[in-house]
Amino acid sequence: MVEYTLQLEPFLGGYAQQFEHVSLNEVDTMALISLALPNGQDGTAVVQALEASDVPNVGASCPCLNGSGTLMRMAQDQFLLCVEDVANSFEMNKDLEQKLAGIAYTTDQTHVWVALDIGGPATLTALERICPVDLDISAFDIGAVARTSMEHLGVIITRITETNFRLFSASSSAGSFLHALETSIENITT
Amino acid sequence: MIINHPLLGPRDAAEFVYLGDASLIDRPDPNADDAAEAFYEYGYLRDNPAGEHQELWYHEQGDRSWLVVTRNTVTHEITKVEIAREIAKSRGRSR
Amino acid sequence: MTEQSNRLAHGGLINRDKRLSFKFNGTGFKGYEGDTLASALLANGKGFVGRSFKYHRPRGIFSAGPEEPNALVQLRSGAHQEPNTRATVAELFDGLWASSQNHIGSLEFDLMSVTDLAAPFLSAGFYYKTFMWPKAFWEKVYEPLIRRSAGLGQLSMKDDPDTYDKGFLHCDLLIIGAGPAGLAAALTAGRSGARVIIADEDFVMGGRLNAETYGINGMEGHLWAQNAVAELAAMDNVRLMSRTTVYGAYDHGVFGALERKTDHLAQSNGKPRQILWRIYSKRSLLTAGATERPIAFPNNDRPGVMLAGAVRSYVNRYAVAPGHKVSVFTNNDDGWRTASDLQKQGVEVVAVIDVRNAPAPVSLNGVETIHGAHIVDTAGRKGLKSIKLSNGKTIATDCLAVAGGWNPNVHLTCHQRGKPEWREDILAFVPGGTLPAGMQVAGAASGTLTLKAGLQDAAQSAETILNDLGMAVKKSESFEAEDEAHSATSFWHVKTTGKRAWVDLQNDVTTKDIKLSYQEGFRSVEHLKRYSTLGMATDQGKTSNIAGLAILAECSGKTIPETGTTIFRPPYTPVPIGALAGRARGKDFRPYRLTPSHKWAEANGATFVETGNWLRAQWFARKGEKGWRDSVDREVQMTRASVGICDVTTLGKIDIQGKDAAEFLNHVYTNAFLKLPVGKTRYGLMLREDGIAYDDGTTARLGENHFVMTTTTANAVLVFRRLEFARQCLWPDLDVHLISTTDGWAQFAVAGPNSRALLQKVVDAPFDLSSEAFPFMACAELTVCGGTPARLFRISFSGELAYQIAVPSKYGNAMMGVLMQAGEEFGAIPYGTEALGVMRIEKGHAAGNELNGQTTAANLGLGGFVSAKKDCIGKTLSQRPEMNPEDDIRLVGFKPVNTQDALLAGSHFITKGERENMANDQGWMSSVAYSPSLGHSIGLGFIKNGQSRMGEIVKVVNPARGVNVEAEIVSPHFYDPEGGLQRG
Repeated sequence: MVEYTLQLEPFLGGYAQQFEHVSLNEVDTMALISLALPNGQDGTAVVQALEASDVPNVGASCPCLNGSGTLMRMAQDQFLLCVEDVANSFEMNKDLEQKLAGIAYTTDQTHVWVALDIGGPATLTALERICPVDLDISAFDIGAVARTSMEHLGVIITRITETNFRLFSASSSAGSFLHALETSIENITT
Repeated sequence: MIINHPLLGPRDAAEFVYLGDASLIDRPDPNADDAAEAFYEYGYLRDNPAGEHQELWYHEQGDRSWLVVTRNTVTHEITKVEIAREIAKSRGRSR
Repeated sequence: MTEQSNRLAHGGLINRDKRLSFKFNGTGFKGYEGDTLASALLANGKGFVGRSFKYHRPRGIFSAGPEEPNALVQLRSGAHQEPNTRATVAELFDGLWASSQNHIGSLEFDLMSVTDLAAPFLSAGFYYKTFMWPKAFWEKVYEPLIRRSAGLGQLSMKDDPDTYDKGFLHCDLLIIGAGPAGLAAALTAGRSGARVIIADEDFVMGGRLNAETYGINGMEGHLWAQNAVAELAAMDNVRLMSRTTVYGAYDHGVFGALERKTDHLAQSNGKPRQILWRIYSKRSLLTAGATERPIAFPNNDRPGVMLAGAVRSYVNRYAVAPGHKVSVFTNNDDGWRTASDLQKQGVEVVAVIDVRNAPAPVSLNGVETIHGAHIVDTAGRKGLKSIKLSNGKTIATDCLAVAGGWNPNVHLTCHQRGKPEWREDILAFVPGGTLPAGMQVAGAASGTLTLKAGLQDAAQSAETILNDLGMAVKKSESFEAEDEAHSATSFWHVKTTGKRAWVDLQNDVTTKDIKLSYQEGFRSVEHLKRYSTLGMATDQGKTSNIAGLAILAECSGKTIPETGTTIFRPPYTPVPIGALAGRARGKDFRPYRLTPSHKWAEANGATFVETGNWLRAQWFARKGEKGWRDSVDREVQMTRASVGICDVTTLGKIDIQGKDAAEFLNHVYTNAFLKLPVGKTRYGLMLREDGIAYDDGTTARLGENHFVMTTTTANAVLVFRRLEFARQCLWPDLDVHLISTTDGWAQFAVAGPNSRALLQKVVDAPFDLSSEAFPFMACAELTVCGGTPARLFRISFSGELAYQIAVPSKYGNAMMGVLMQAGEEFGAIPYGTEALGVMRIEKGHAAGNELNGQTTAANLGLGGFVSAKKDCIGKTLSQRPEMNPEDDIRLVGFKPVNTQDALLAGSHFITKGERENMANDQGWMSSVAYSPSLGHSIGLGFIKNGQSRMGEIVKVVNPARGVNVEAEIVSPHFYDPEGGLQRG
C-alpha cells in the first residue's frame, strides 16, 4: 500500500476576481476529452453516441449527454467534449474509448488547458484588446467556438451568453494568460 | 492580411504559418528511377512568379488545417483558399 | 501683456467657463477648454514658437492641423517629455508644459542662428558635398558636429513611464475622417443598420465645419455636426472614435489606427496613454478632406505667415485673431473667404492680393484689393511686419494668410501603391490607380472640394457600399448646403533670383534648392526628395510636396502629372514607438511557460533558465556551495550514486492514434516502427527532406493504434506542424490523428541506481517494476499514490537505471513533493538542466548542439538508424554523394591530454603538427562539460573520419578565446559505454 496521495491543484489556485465591470474566474471543474474522427466518418455516429442533437459545424458547439456536456467542433475531424467532472477525466476517457471504439479516437485533454470564465457588461470591451476574432453577437453567436491567438498564446474561446465567454489556453502558460486578461480588464476605461 | 478559411471564414493571417509553394504537396516517388533528381527538384527548385501563386498556409492558431492559398504576389489579392488535404487527394496522393 | 490679448470677445467652439493654465518656455499663460496649444499661444500673442531645422530661422504657427511643419514643441517634462509634438493638434489641458525646440540658448537668441548667415553654403546636398574630405575628419569632427546639430526635439533618455495597449476592431464600414462628408456617410450607413466605425484625429468631430461658417440643412455647420455626432452616438451599431488617427491602409481591408486616450489629460492615472488598433473592415470610406498648400515667395517663412484656412480656423473655431492687421495672398476664390470671415468676426483685414486678374468673388468693405500682383519680399525678423508687392507697394501687416489651393488627402489611397491622378480642373492630385481593397473615397479627399457636392458624394458612396454589402438603404433626409466658390489658377511660387523662397518649411528647402537638385541631375521626384530632403521628417511634406514637384516640373519642362508624386507610405502621421510596442516590454515581452513543479522548485532554491518560452530549473543550490559548478557537480554525483529527479515536462508529447499510426511513424522516422510491440518504447530519428538530421526522441506504443511521441523541447511545435503536413498533404488517406499533450502530463525523470526502489514506494500494487516484468525501454499505463493515473517509461538519458514517470499535470507539483519524500531515505536530490546536460554528454547522447541543422544521421553516428528497407522523409536526399564524402565528419568524444585543461565548445580541431588555419580545419567541438564522474573536462565534437581516429591526439583551438590545448579522440560514450547500468 502506497503511503502517499496526490491532490488536484488548479493551475491558477482557483482564481476568482470581480473587477469594476468584469468578473474573471478560473473554471476547474471541466473534464476535456478530444475526439478524433477516423477517416471517412462525418461525426454522425459520435453525435448519436453522445446524445447530441445534430453535428455542429466547425466553429460551433452543441449540448450533449443529456445536457451534462458540451460538444465543440474544433476541426473537420476533431471534437472537444467538455463535461463537468474533472476528477474522473481519466476514467471517462477510458470509458469513451470503449464506447466510441471505431467511431472516434479519444485523448484526455483535461490537464492540457486552463479555463477561465469572463463575464459582465464590459467583457467585450476588455476582450477587444487581445482577441482578433470578431465577437459581435451577429458574427459570434452563443455556442460559437473559435481557436485563435491572444498575446502570443493559443486560445479557445466560446460564447456562453451574450456577455459571458469561456476561454481555454495552454496550462503551462496559465500565469501569462491570466496576466494578459487582467491587463486587458484593467486597461479599459468605462 | 486576411485569409478566408473555407470552413471558418475570414481570419487574420497572424493565426497562420506560411510554408511556401504548394508544389511541396507533390513529393516524388522514392522508388522511381529518377528519385534522386526528382527529390532534388522538389527540395530546391521553386518558381518565383510575379502574379498568381499557390502556397501552403497552416492554421496553427486555429483548426490546424493546412490550406492552399492562391495569392497574387504583386497585389496580395487572395482569390482562392482550399483545404490542402482535398487538393492532395485530387492530385493523386493517398497513403 | 494682458491675458489672452488676441482672444476675440465672442464666438468660437471654446468653453470660456473653463480657463486652463499652461507654461511655454517657463512662462505661464491661460487658455480655454477646447483650445489647442497653438490656438492658446496665438491667443496670448505668441506667434514665434520655434526655430527652423537647418538655418535656425524664427518660425511661427503655420497651420491649424496635423500638417504643421513649424510649431513642433517638447510636450511635458521629465520622463514624460515627448519631442516633435505638433502644437496645432496638442489639446490644451490644465498644467500643460511645453518648450520650443532646436535652439541653443533661448528661443529669442538662438546661438545656432549664425547658420542662417552661412546659408549660401548650406544648399541641397550640402552634407554629401561638404563632409567628404578629408576622410579622417569624418569620425572625429564631422559626425559629432552633425549629430549635435541634427534632429529636431530631444528624447528624455529615460524609460517611458506610460503604458500602451493594442486592440482589434471589426466593422462593415470604416469611415476615415469625420468632417461633413464622413458624418453624412456615417448617418446614411448607421441609420441603415451597418456596423460603422468613424474615426477622426481631432478631439471634436466635424472637420472643417468647425472652422468655417458653412450651413447644412439650415443649421450652422458646427451645430449640424454636433447633432450628427449625437445621433450616431446613440446608435449601438456605430462606434465614434475621436482623437484617433487612421495611419495606415494594409491588405484586405485592415487598417492601423492610433487612439490617443490620455494625451489630453494631465495624468494617465495608470491607464494606457495610447491604443494601437487593428481595424478589420469589410469596406472603407476615406473622407479625410483636403490640406491647404502655400505659395512660395521670398522670405515667406516669417512668423505670421500662415495658411489662409488656418487663419479662418483660429478666428472661427478658437475665437483667436492671429494678427491685428491681416492680409491675404491668394491664387483662388477660397482665399477671399478668409477676408470675409475675418471681417465678420471684427478682425481688421488690410489687403487681399490675388495673383489673378479677375474680379473679386466677394465684396469687401475697407479692404485694399490688389489683382494681378504678387509678393516679392517680406520684413520682420521675429514676426511679420510688412510685405512688399510686385507693384512696388509695401503694406504693413502682422499676419499674412496664404491661399495656394487645396490638396485632397489621398495618402491612404496610396498605401497599397495606388497612384494619384492629376486633375487640371481643380489643380490637384486625386485618388487614382488601384485603391486598397474595399476602399472608396468621398468628399474633398476625392477632389469634390465644395460642401454640397461633397455631402452628396459621401451619402451616395455610403449607399453604394451598403448595396455592395447586401444591406438595405434606409432613406432619410438629404443634406442641403451651398457649393462655395472655388475657382483657382496655377501659381506655385514667385520667381526670385536673390532671396530665398521656402517650399518645405520643416526641412528648410527653398525653390533654389529644388532647381539646384535638378541641375545636379536629381530628376526623379523620389531622387529630389532624398537629395534635397524635401518632404521628409515628421510632416512628410504635407504642405510642401505638391509645390516642390510643380517647381521640379517647371525645371524639366514636363507637366505635373508627368513628374508624378513620391509614394505615400504608412504612417500618415508619426506613431510613437511605445504604441507599436504595446504591452510587449520588459518581462511582458513574451509569455512564459512554467513546468508543473515550478512552485516546488521555487521553494527549493532553484535557479531558472529560459529555454524558449519555458522557465526550467537550471540547478538547485545548497548552502555552502560557492558557484553553479558546485551545485551541478553534486547533482550529477548524487544522481549517479543514488537517485535524482528532474522535471522533463518540456519535452514535446504528441498523442498519435489511428489504424495507420504505425505506418505514419514509418514515414516520418528513419527507423522502423511497424513492429514495435505494445508496451515498448523506441528511439526515433527524424530527418528534414533534404537529408539533414532534424529531431529525435522516444515513441511509446500504448496500444495497437495508439502511440505517444516525444520530441525535443525546442522542436515540439515545429515537429507537430510537420507531422500535420505529412498527415494532411503527403499521405492524406492514412487514418492517423494527432493531438498535443505536452501540457497535459507532468513528466519526471527518476534516475540513478535507487530509482527503482524509490518508484516502488509510489506505484500502486500490483505493478511490478522488476527488470523481468518491466525491462529497459518498456512503457505502461498504471496508477500511483492510491489511484492517480500515470504513465511510466523505462528510458534513460543519463545512462543510469532510469524511468520517466508522468501524471496529469494538475498533480505535477504534488508529485514532485511525493517523489522527494519517497526518496528521502535514499538521499534523493532534484537536478536541473545543467546536470541533465552533463550526464547526457558523459553518456554521449546527441542534443540540440549536435542536431544543429548541419549534420546528417551518419555524422551523428546514427547511420544505422536509417532503415534500408523503407522510405522516410529525407531518406532519398540523405543518400546524395555530396552528403556522404569519404572524409565525412563523425561525432566522437574528446578528452584533454592534460586533464587540468578545460575544453571549450566552438573550438576547432587541427591535426597535430599542422598550422592553425581554416585550410587545416578538421571539425568543431559541439558540447563540453566538466565530468564529475571522470574528474576532468570532456567534449563531444565532429571531426573528419572520427570513427577511425580513436586514440589520436589533436589540437583543440579557439583563437578568438586564446585556447589551444591537446585532446585525445575517444568514444563519445564516456560513461558506462556498454550500457549495463541502464539495462540493470
